[in-house]
Amino acid sequence: MRERMYVNTFWASVSIVLLLVAWHLLAVLLDKEALPGPVSSFTAFFRELPGELWGHFWISSYRVAASLLISLVLAVPCGMIMGREEKVDRLAAPMIYVIYPVPKIVFLPVLMALLGLGDVSKIALITLVVFFQILVPIRDASRSINPAVVNSIRSLGAGRWHLYKHVVWPAVLPEMLTALRIASGTAIAILFISETISSQEGLGYFLLDAWSRYSYHDMFAGIIALSLLGFVIYMALDGLERYLCPWKYV
Amino acid sequence: MHDGMMLEIKGLSVGYRQPKGEVPALRDVSFAVPRSGTCALIGPSGCGKSTLLYVLSGLLKDFGGQVIVDGAPVTSLRRQTALILQDYGLLPWKKVYDNVALGLEIRGVAKDEQRERIRRVLTEVGLWEMHDRYPSQLSGGQRQRTGIARALAMQPDLLLMDEPFSSLDALTREHLQGLLLDIWNSKRITVVLVTHSIEEAIFLGQKIVVLSGHPGQVIDVVENPRVGQKGYRKTTEYHILTSQLRDKLEQVGTVLNLPG
Repeated sequence: MRERMYVNTFWASVSIVLLLVAWHLLAVLLDKEALPGPVSSFTAFFRELPGELWGHFWISSYRVAASLLISLVLAVPCGMIMGREEKVDRLAAPMIYVIYPVPKIVFLPVLMALLGLGDVSKIALITLVVFFQILVPIRDASRSINPAVVNSIRSLGAGRWHLYKHVVWPAVLPEMLTALRIASGTAIAILFISETISSQEGLGYFLLDAWSRYSYHDMFAGIIALSLLGFVIYMALDGLERYLCPWKYV
Repeated sequence: MHDGMMLEIKGLSVGYRQPKGEVPALRDVSFAVPRSGTCALIGPSGCGKSTLLYVLSGLLKDFGGQVIVDGAPVTSLRRQTALILQDYGLLPWKKVYDNVALGLEIRGVAKDEQRERIRRVLTEVGLWEMHDRYPSQLSGGQRQRTGIARALAMQPDLLLMDEPFSSLDALTREHLQGLLLDIWNSKRITVVLVTHSIEEAIFLGQKIVVLSGHPGQVIDVVENPRVGQKGYRKTTEYHILTSQLRDKLEQVGTVLNLPG
C-alpha cells in the first residue's frame, strides 16, 4: 500500500517534470515575449504570491468551491429522484433538455443585473453550469440501477427511503465524483470568464490585468495559479472518492 | 398454526403489459406446497418461473387467481418470506456483514440482536471469517452463501430462490445444494426454488413442478419424497427419475442446459 503510494508519487513527479521541460523547450524555440519559460514564470509566481496573487487565488478558490458544493447539494437529490420517479422525470426531463444545451454564460448579464457584480452572481453562474453537468449523469446512473438489486432490497421490506439510502445514493456516488471531476474543469473556465467582466478580484481579473499591462510573466503566474487550483480540486476529489467509495479500492 | 399447506396457488395468471398489448407470462397455474416441504419449479427459459417467485414474494401484485401463503392471501410483502434472486442481490458497497444486516436494519432490529443473529447465520453458512470483505472479494459460491445468510437472518418460514446455483462451478454447486439441504433439515423452512437443471430439481425438490413456456403452464407435478436422504444422488431411483423428467421436458419441446 505504502510502496504503491511512493510509486504513484514518483510517476506524478516525472510527469510534471516532463511537462515543465516541454514548456521550457517550447519557450526557448519560439523565443517570444508572449510565451515566457517556466523559470521566469515561476519566479513571477513566487514573487506575486505573498502579495496580490494570494488574495485573488483565495477568492477564486472560494467561488469555485462554493459553486461546486451548491451544485452538488442541488443536483444530486434532483438527479436521484428524476432517475427513480418516472412521473417527476416526465415533467422535469423536457425542461432539462431544453436548458442543458444553452451556453449558460449568456445569462451572465441577467445574473449581474439581478445579483450584482460581486461573488453571488459569479457563484450563481458557475452553479448554473455545473448543476446540469452533475444532474444529467446522476439521473442516468440512478435510472440504470439493476432492477434485480432493487427488487432484492425491496423484498427485505425496504421502502422508498431505504432504497435511496442503501441503494440509490451509493450507486450514484462514483458517477457523482466523475461528474465533479469533469465539471471542475468547466467551473474554472466559467469562473475565469465571469472574473474578466467588470470585476476587480479573482484570478481571471489578475490575468486580464497582467495581459493589459503586457506583463506576460505575471500572466503566466496567474495561469500557474489556475492550474494549481484545478490540481487541488482534483486531489481533493481523489481523496473524497477513497473516503466515500472504499469498495472500489479493494 | 395449522399443519397443512404453506403455499397454495389456484388458477394463477400473470400478464406483462407491453406496447402491443398484454403478453401472458403465466396461465392458470395451480399447485400447493406443504409446510416444511421443498418444491422445485423447472421449465424452459421464458416460462415465467421468475415471475412466479415475484408473485409469491408479494413484490408483484398485479395477478389473477389466488395465492395463499400460510393461510393468508398474498397482498403485499410478508415478513417471513425471504427471496434470493439470481445474482444474490448483494450491494457491492456493503461489506458481507452489512449486506447480511440490511434486512434487519430495514426492519429496525436492535443492534445487539443484529450482531448476534448475523454472527450466527454467517457461521452457519461458514462465512464468518469473511464478514469484513466486500462482495467483489468473494467467489461466486461465497456470494451465494452471503445471500442465503441474509435471507436466514430474517428468520423466514418460506424461502424463495431464483436459480440459486446456476452460475457456480459443479463442485461448489453440489456443496451449496448440500448446505441448503442441511439448513432445510435443521430449520424446516419451506423452500421453493426455480431451476433449469433437472438434477438440481430432483436433488432438492420434494415436489417438482414442470412448466411449459410462453405462457408458463403446469405440465406435471412430480412427487419426489426421498429428497434429503443420504446418498440420494447415487440411487437408482434418482437416475430413473432424472430420465423420466428429461422425457417430460422433451415432450414439451424444450431444450435445457446440461444437467448439473
